[in-house]
Amino acid sequence: MAIIGEWIRRLGYVLRRGAREDELRREMEAHRALMEEPRAFGNTLRLRDEARDAWGWNWLDDFVHDTRFALRTLRRSPGFTLTAVVTLAFGIGVNSGMFSLVNGLLLRPLYERPDEVVGVSSRSTTPEGASRGISYPNYLDLREGTTDIFANLAASSTFFVGLDVGEGPRRTLASEVTANYFQTFGASLALGRPFTTEEERIGADVPIAIISHSLWQQSGADPNTLGQSVQVNGAQFTIVGVAAEGFTGTGIPGPEVWLPLGAHNLFNRDARPAGHAFGAREAHELSVVGRLRAGTSVERVAPALTTVARRLEQAFPAINAGYTLVMSTPSRLLFMPGAGSGAVTAMLSLVLMIMPAIVLLVACLNLVDLLLARGQVRRKEMAIRSSLGGRRGRLTRQLIAEGLLLAFAGGAVGLLLSMWATDALLTSLRPVIPVALSLPELDVDWRVLVGTVGFSLAATLVFGAWPAWALTGRAVATNLTQHVRDDGGRRSGGRIGNALVIGQVALSVLLLASGGLFVMSALSAATADPGFRLDGGLLVEVDPGLAGYDEARGRQSHLALVDRLRTVPGVEAVTIGSSFVFSGMSDSRDVAPAGVADVRPYSDGAVFIAVGRDFARVLGLPMLAGRDFSDAELLPGSSERVAIIDDVLAQRLWPGENALGRLIQFLDAEGPEAKQPIRVVGIVPAVKHSLGNARPSPHVYVPLGQHYESAMTVQLRIADENAERAMLATVARVVREVDERVPVLRVETWRDHLDAGLEVWLYRAGARVFSAFGGIALLLAVIGVYGVKSYVVARRTREFGIRIATGAHPRVLLWQVLREGGRVTTIGIAIGLVLAVGAGQLLQGILYGVNAVEPVVLVTAPLILLASSLLASYIPALRATKVDPTVALRSE
Amino acid sequence: MPRDTGLPPGTLMMLVLRVLSRQPLHGYAIAQRIHQLSREELSVEEGSLYPALQKLLVKGWVKAAWRESESGRQVREYRITASGRKQLETEMAEYRRTANAIGLLLDEA
Repeated sequence: MAIIGEWIRRLGYVLRRGAREDELRREMEAHRALMEEPRAFGNTLRLRDEARDAWGWNWLDDFVHDTRFALRTLRRSPGFTLTAVVTLAFGIGVNSGMFSLVNGLLLRPLYERPDEVVGVSSRSTTPEGASRGISYPNYLDLREGTTDIFANLAASSTFFVGLDVGEGPRRTLASEVTANYFQTFGASLALGRPFTTEEERIGADVPIAIISHSLWQQSGADPNTLGQSVQVNGAQFTIVGVAAEGFTGTGIPGPEVWLPLGAHNLFNRDARPAGHAFGAREAHELSVVGRLRAGTSVERVAPALTTVARRLEQAFPAINAGYTLVMSTPSRLLFMPGAGSGAVTAMLSLVLMIMPAIVLLVACLNLVDLLLARGQVRRKEMAIRSSLGGRRGRLTRQLIAEGLLLAFAGGAVGLLLSMWATDALLTSLRPVIPVALSLPELDVDWRVLVGTVGFSLAATLVFGAWPAWALTGRAVATNLTQHVRDDGGRRSGGRIGNALVIGQVALSVLLLASGGLFVMSALSAATADPGFRLDGGLLVEVDPGLAGYDEARGRQSHLALVDRLRTVPGVEAVTIGSSFVFSGMSDSRDVAPAGVADVRPYSDGAVFIAVGRDFARVLGLPMLAGRDFSDAELLPGSSERVAIIDDVLAQRLWPGENALGRLIQFLDAEGPEAKQPIRVVGIVPAVKHSLGNARPSPHVYVPLGQHYESAMTVQLRIADENAERAMLATVARVVREVDERVPVLRVETWRDHLDAGLEVWLYRAGARVFSAFGGIALLLAVIGVYGVKSYVVARRTREFGIRIATGAHPRVLLWQVLREGGRVTTIGIAIGLVLAVGAGQLLQGILYGVNAVEPVVLVTAPLILLASSLLASYIPALRATKVDPTVALRSE
Repeated sequence: MPRDTGLPPGTLMMLVLRVLSRQPLHGYAIAQRIHQLSREELSVEEGSLYPALQKLLVKGWVKAAWRESESGRQVREYRITASGRKQLETEMAEYRRTANAIGLLLDEA
């Protein structure tokens, strides 16, 4: 209590300090008047100052004073201030921008207390440990058997659906979930109610849905949304709830709509794999996540799962034998872009994490540079102030105040920059992702703020305090005299400056060269030869399943579309396929010669595509041997199973032999027909399926009759390659005419398709980001070179003056300064080239069509740097030649 | 920076409180009274007195008010508060204990 009272009184002093000061003054005057010898009274100003100390506010005065002083000092050297702030802003901006992105996508918890949430998956006990989903009955038994461990155990399944909110169907993600799903994640609903256990029961067929918050926002955040309906794959669902803002379930991207498990059959009319009903114990389709009971140790989970798994094995050996249940981490990113390859992930993390760190490093070097150079210049000022009685602590504090101001200004500008950069990155990402995503909001959250402020403070301590301490530490008086003589330019200040510049140049070369590799990669990707002619090709993506068509109607719709498009004038050939090259998604099968005993050599996988007639003709590929598919083979139930393979696959299966007429089998197929042999009836040249492929990849094509997929790509070859644009419109119109209920997902030329692909985007984004970062680093390095050179020239004014006075030609001085700048830059470039080749080795595996050592890049990047750094030292050099000897000699 | 008063640290505040515990006084009078009562052994300089008074005010152990002196002058008079008296008692007890202990040590060691 006493303490609080004391603070309140102290506050009184600061709030009414004018009156208090006045009081103190009057009191002291009265005292003096009473004294017999008023002159014995000390220095009133000083006495008042000391008395005020008791109020405990002098630090605030000092702080305000220091800040004001620092502001004045910084305003007096606007060039330095601007450079330092811009440098810091870039350093902080790119880092906190990247951090926002990484945080939003990878770090920020998606739901409450994520450490309590674990995944459960079913895994084979064989050494390979193949995993599968969990069937609904197995899930129910698991839930029953682990009630002492899990507070809630939820099951869900996420897939693409056609969603129609009144603007025609589009493809998006939906999750079917158990009733306790939202509760498991601790996610309340923004509106409405969760599903009930009755609605969860398989076969309950209650057509209700919960929509995502972002979908609700997009459709105007109507408060009367509940009770309205949306169409999922052509079926009506009534909205009973809106998910909480930002809720995405286990992963990113989140679904736009959640449906109860019991409604599965209302919208999913696909043929069941292996013929099992959705709720059957054999249908291993669900992902399971659970939230531990409060205080339950995570160590108890694995034994409990094993117990349940053993019980399930005993009770249903035909279905569950050989499988156990294991704990897993719920996967955060629902799908990685591209084929989910490790290379893409590696590149993403490389792009995301390393580059901003390098820029930050360059920025830091630059700041140290600037502050040291400035510090050297201010040695004399410090010496004078110190000899006039400025205490060391006070001087240090002032320098720190300057550093703080710079850091916060840089941080503030950097934060703005980062918001802009994050937005730009996300905006460029949206068009290439094939579905509407509800990504979590990438706001600048408190972590970013804390990170930025933290970095600013660290920057202050390092860049403000260190030079300050170094500057005020020495015996200042000697500095005063020493400074006059100290014009060698090769003292430690200059040496450190040079080392810093070398580091900056080296890192800039590294970034520029890496950027160059990305640019080259993007260029070669855009001009890539996929193994067939890109010009004169169009494609149309359709998905009748999204309109609720079952397999029979879907097949009919596919064939009708192809038949109708064949009759369009100007169209040379039309086919339809379950995937097209460069789509980023493909189905893959392990193919082996039929009947081989040892299948191990054949586990590499071949791209599996179900196609119509003429697919080779449309791509412009010749039949190397054999025949095309017949019309009868495009319908289900034809007698013999047939396939066309490409020469790469043929060589793999039967090296050096003729594959035509031989039998193959799919190793990983399920279902009654799985092991039935397939006859090779044709051989075509190989094409690349993905830009990442260095060589054409093996393909196996089966006729439409043997495999049904609702989402198909109609491919057209047109007669006049220059009429691509005009034909696009015609084709789009014709497709609508055939069946306007069938959702058309894309109509585009093959070239646009390639350009819009995720892979090309990655190379482009990489090129853009690396070039931007390289550019920033270059800018900073140039500023660094300029700063150090200017400083060196300024310090050597006297020397230059004397030399000019004694008759040195200005050009000699110019060359001398340039040569010194060139030497530092050259050393930096040499180091940078070594780094760049190293980075090239890393990038080579990720990038398309580039080598670790690309002469173009390794010559261009250093040239840019050399040119810019010479330019940067030219201005100070020119200044050296303009030195007026009389002024120079008098200057110190 | 407090000046050297020739007093053990902290004792000046105790002395001021002790003097004020008899009657309210202004700054000059406090210095005088300490001087007299110590038989001119102790003299308190303004440079120590005013910081001490400010600290006592902040702590809430004294209160100050302007008043007209006998000579018709405006003076600022300090008056001890209840919590000031409590503080004085504690400090005096503490001081006596320490002084006795030191005395014992000096006599018998």
